Amino acid sequence: MAAVTQKSGGDRVLRVINVALLSLLGLVCLLPFVHMAAKSLSGRAAVSAGRVAFWPIDWTLSTYRYVLQDDLFWRTFQNSAFITIVGTLLALTITTMAAYPLSKPGFKGRKVILLLYVFSMLFYGGMISVYILMRALNLLNTLWCQIIPLVLSQYNLFIMKTFFEGLPEAIEESARIDGAGPARTLVSIVLPLSLPSLATIALFYAVAYWNGYYHAMIFVTRADAKPLQLYLYEMITTTQNLYELDPAQAAGLSSSGIQAAAIVVSSIPILIVYPFLQKYFVHGLTIGSVKG
Amino acid sequence: MQTTLSRRRTRLGAYLRANWLYYALSVPGLVYVIGYKLLPLVGLQLAFKDFSIFAGDNILESMFVSPWVGMQHFEKIFGSADFWRLLRNTLTISLMKLVVLFPIPILVALMLNEVRCRPFQRVTQTLIYMPHFISWVVIHGIFLTMLSANGILNRVLEALDLGKTSFYTDPIAFRWLLVFTEGWKESGWGAIVYLAALTGIDQELYEAAYVDGAGRLRRIWHVTLPGIAPVISLMLLLRLGGILEAGYGQILIMYNPTVYSTADVLQTYIYRTGLGKLDFSSATALGLFESLVGFVLIVSCNGVSRKAFGRSLW
Repeated sequence: MAAVTQKSGGDRVLRVINVALLSLLGLVCLLPFVHMAAKSLSGRAAVSAGRVAFWPIDWTLSTYRYVLQDDLFWRTFQNSAFITIVGTLLALTITTMAAYPLSKPGFKGRKVILLLYVFSMLFYGGMISVYILMRALNLLNTLWCQIIPLVLSQYNLFIMKTFFEGLPEAIEESARIDGAGPARTLVSIVLPLSLPSLATIALFYAVAYWNGYYHAMIFVTRADAKPLQLYLYEMITTTQNLYELDPAQAAGLSSSGIQAAAIVVSSIPILIVYPFLQKYFVHGLTIGSVKG
Repeated sequence: MQTTLSRRRTRLGAYLRANWLYYALSVPGLVYVIGYKLLPLVGLQLAFKDFSIFAGDNILESMFVSPWVGMQHFEKIFGSADFWRLLRNTLTISLMKLVVLFPIPILVALMLNEVRCRPFQRVTQTLIYMPHFISWVVIHGIFLTMLSANGILNRVLEALDLGKTSFYTDPIAFRWLLVFTEGWKESGWGAIVYLAALTGIDQELYEAAYVDGAGRLRRIWHVTLPGIAPVISLMLLLRLGGILEAGYGQILIMYNPTVYSTADVLQTYIYRTGLGKLDFSSATALGLFESLVGFVLIVSCNGVSRKAFGRSLW
């Protein structure tokens, strides 16, 4: 492309417009977060009056103190942490195990298994069916009923399968000649080569678990089994409705300041991890999700 | 006869000795897909039964002993005004999102592709992918705050003398709020697919176009767009295939009773009917309708894509 870079005037105008539009887009994505962070750090009067824009007014950490002292916040935070860590590890293991054989053309039964995965991706049995399953298994109101539904995503499975298919056959061949068995080859040759793809799907699973609320809305009614997202959801909807009765008001805090603090705290784990993993998914990912 | 059989058996034995690992590795995934995805399909019988949770000692027994009622639930559904409202809302919201939001990731990818300054490109990507990683609950919280009566947006509108709007309770404005927040969350992330497709375009085509005197815009029009057209078509057909979903996960979090008239979709209604009112049979019947139509749509869209562009999802 560098060979055809033009330096005409019209081109320069286009380039400036392009950069300006992209910057605007970036700002539109960023500013709502900045606004929430500013609100969470501002004093009550400024928040209630709606004076806070993108910089805190009357700095305070009292909203964070309030959120972090809430027992239910910690309980649900721990639930989400457990669901995310255990779920991601399980999902990563199961997905890799399932994807590896599917990448081998010589694997008899491959077609049938692929068909099962594709069909299960396209035909949804409905929420009542899975509710009955979880109830019959006595898993309602547990953390497991929030882990199981997302433990294998067909999209991630296909990303891994495509990645394995792209590994040169010669690598595994030479390991075999050196006397390594198939299990040994997988663990000490294939998996280390797959780290970028594994990191990518680990991020996708972790995000799905951490951000998950849908299955909890179906399977969980007891407060102590709820994930952080449902705690947030209830906080957001009830403080809007019961503004006057809000205990936070009595504590001298504004409910929207507290909401902002809770939102910031719950988003921080992802916002910290994601930029570090960006370099992996920008490359490897999409070649797997769309078959050429 | 004897010898061919035993020879076949030794060949099978040799195959299994060499490939046993593949079968062992497949087991957990199969347990999941059969146990969690296929087995529950047994529950679809409730669409043709009159389910009573107290019919048996446990929920499975209740399911099996509830009496068959044929197509009664479907007749009730298709005869109700609710159903047509839900279908209209679902299709309207899906089409609004499709028409407004579908081109944006393509434009974003084309724009990012023209940027020559790597650090700027990287930072922009980090920023515009970010909302994809944020949950709907958090996004709902952010927009509820920004759009509330004395939120930042209404302050700006007031300052510009445009008057306040209550986006969360106005049935028409709320639909646009759904479209906007969906676009805010996924437009940047959606560009990744097209960026990947762009890297596959033959560079010689650009050079040839340049030699022919084509400017930047003409090169995009005559080289870039045709180059990614198959991916664009595939994405479009996938969207059409999922048209009955309408992004219900988002709506389930963001809507409220004041906007049921325009924003209640099939899945949100199923949720309230099935788990709110415990009317399992109606909810299952409506869900089965959606699943069947969705399945037929996606399979035919994929078929069209395969025939027309040689690209398919499976």
